[in-house]
Amino acid sequence: MRVPSLWQTRSRPPARLRVKAALRAPYVTGMLIQNPLNSSELAFPVLECLHIVGFTISLGTIAIVDFRLLGLGMRHQKAADLNRDLWLWTLAGLVIVVFTGLLLYSSDPDMYYLNIAFLFKIVCLLAAIIFHYTIRRKVVSSEASNGYGKMVACLSMALWASVIFGGIFIGFVNPGL
Amino acid sequence: MSLASFVHWLEQRDWAMDFAGSAYFYPIVLATHLTCIAIFGGMILITNLRLLGWVLRSESVSDVVGRLRPWKWGGLVLMVTCGALLAGSEAGKYYGNPYFWTKMTLLALLIVHSLVFRRSVYRNTAELDRAEVMPGRAKLAAALSLILWIGVVTAGRMIGYYEGPVPLADSVTPAGASPR
Repeated sequence: MRVPSLWQTRSRPPARLRVKAALRAPYVTGMLIQNPLNSSELAFPVLECLHIVGFTISLGTIAIVDFRLLGLGMRHQKAADLNRDLWLWTLAGLVIVVFTGLLLYSSDPDMYYLNIAFLFKIVCLLAAIIFHYTIRRKVVSSEASNGYGKMVACLSMALWASVIFGGIFIGFVNPGL
Repeated sequence: MSLASFVHWLEQRDWAMDFAGSAYFYPIVLATHLTCIAIFGGMILITNLRLLGWVLRSESVSDVVGRLRPWKWGGLVLMVTCGALLAGSEAGKYYGNPYFWTKMTLLALLIVHSLVFRRSVYRNTAELDRAEVMPGRAKLAAALSLILWIGVVTAGRMIGYYEGPVPLADSVTPAGASPR
């Protein structure tokens, strides 16, 4: 696997993480052996594919509504109407993504925990979910098709794209352990 | 020029070697590829689910298919460009990767699919909206498209897991080991 040189120079994780990892290591090592996910070569890739299909469902539905907020795509409909038809699919996709994501995480918690890209991803994910169900939800239901709505749509897309970028980079940065 | 020699030629290009040598190029293009899959592949998914009558039922098929079409095409162009860069920068690796060829075969089948159903389904949405029940061919087109696209995503993910032909002595199933 390719390891970017910039991150490679930081050979050890920060002290804060080192201590926690030391405390966690025996437990995690035991779990790695016991976790049935790690006894099958196929389990991880299959979960990954489900993970991809899950975020495709949620991001596709989110994008349709965001595009509408930007005045693009399905312009004949109101954003609120589109959202009424799509919110359940968005949620279903998110449930699949989070569930498979937790299982993927369980396969090697230490590696993820100390991975800067993973931490970035989780921060973006939490921000995206909170943003989605608070500010964006209000804008979508208020039907305010203005600059603010467009800004919210752009921010929503940017946050979700950041989650994907973080996720991809997990496999490309120094695991730290 | 045979395919193998083309791949060899591609590998020797300056840009391909630059890309292969850069730590950031591959993950950034891969992440863009995946983001396009999520956004525009998601639109393809929703279009097909609409044809199956599972989602956006209060909107007409014409609106869903017609309005999202230019975006799906734009997204596809971006997706394919990123994919070509990924494969082109490591042509030699991809050439020997059976999952890559599975993915290419499925993409070829998707082209056939779009040609077969173009006139009767995807360019015929006004008639689909008039029909009381969604015609079987539209549902068939949607189901096939979903299966093929999920196959493409799965094969695409598996490309990264292929580690080259197993040496004959190490292989558990000798029949599965293909000499390069």
